[in-house]
Amino acid sequence: MNDATPHRRRGRTVLLAWLALLALMLASLGSAYLPLGRWNVVVGLVIATGKSAIVVWWFMRLADAGALARIAAAAALFMLATQACLSGVDYATRFVEPAAMQQPQQLRPLRQGGAAR
Amino acid sequence: MSTEHSCADGACPPRPGAPASHGAGATASHALDRAQRGQSALLGMWVFLATELLFFGGLFMAYLYGRTHWPQGFAEAGRHTDVVLGTLNTGLLLSSSALVALAVASHGQPPRRGWSPWLLGGAAALGIAFLSIKGLEYRQEWREGLLPGPGFTLPRPEGAELFFMLYFVMTALHALHLLIGVALMALFAWGTARVAPWSPQRRVEAAGLYWHFVDVVWIFLYPLLYLVGRAS
Repeated sequence: MNDATPHRRRGRTVLLAWLALLALMLASLGSAYLPLGRWNVVVGLVIATGKSAIVVWWFMRLADAGALARIAAAAALFMLATQACLSGVDYATRFVEPAAMQQPQQLRPLRQGGAAR
Repeated sequence: MSTEHSCADGACPPRPGAPASHGAGATASHALDRAQRGQSALLGMWVFLATELLFFGGLFMAYLYGRTHWPQGFAEAGRHTDVVLGTLNTGLLLSSSALVALAVASHGQPPRRGWSPWLLGGAAALGIAFLSIKGLEYRQEWREGLLPGPGFTLPRPEGAELFFMLYFVMTALHALHLLIGVALMALFAWGTARVAPWSPQRRVEAAGLYWHFVDVVWIFLYPLLYLVGRAS
């Protein structure tokens, strides 16, 4: 009985996390139909971040994974954020100039998107 | 490492096929060696998943660029994805992750030792169901002319074709990862059922980490590909 208790507790944690994930999925679906304008995507991404945190913390058990694993996860997030910022700066300051080798079909959206800038 | 991972910390009994230890020193050394392997297997998977995050991150960055430059086209195209099948698939993947977490928790634990193969097999089955539904979606989108190229049927606004280009690349790359995950889960379901020496706790847990990561990628794909443009 003593051996089974921590595992029963673990099973209950997984069950609650699963129910929370399904509830958040439905919340995400419902919020997408509310006329929130550009906040729709913000709400969607905030809910997705919450769902990911549940998976990483309670399913992947990052809290128990040791300091090195947490450093690896933090380094990955840091690198992703750094590269996203650097790429964002690059693309935000650049005009859309299609390459000469691209086919007309490929150029069509780029030309019209670029012309609007 | 958690003390709950009894096999990973070297406390589980030797397996039938394992070589015999010679003396208390050798046993302690063997246990330490096993504990280190347990930790390094999980750390190795975390480092691999870190590289995977950067791999998928580039595609998410491309999506961000497209969506900020052609918001109308992305909203129009997003309305043509199948939100019912996308939501169903999200539910399947979230449930499969819960099964894998339970399988890892019950692996090697005497009262629930027999559960792991079934739970891992269930996760693999949910993965196959996910891939089948994705295949149905692809067929539907092919017939509607949503595959980027000369036959693309959404004329306006611009950017819709780029959305579907990213949609197909991101979901296909995710499906490829999931296919590998299904193979891993099926393999370990078989291995844990046979109590095979090649399916110890640390490997099942490392494979579980991979499965959860694939789930996390989908968690972000779902609002970006299926819920865009629904309110407008």
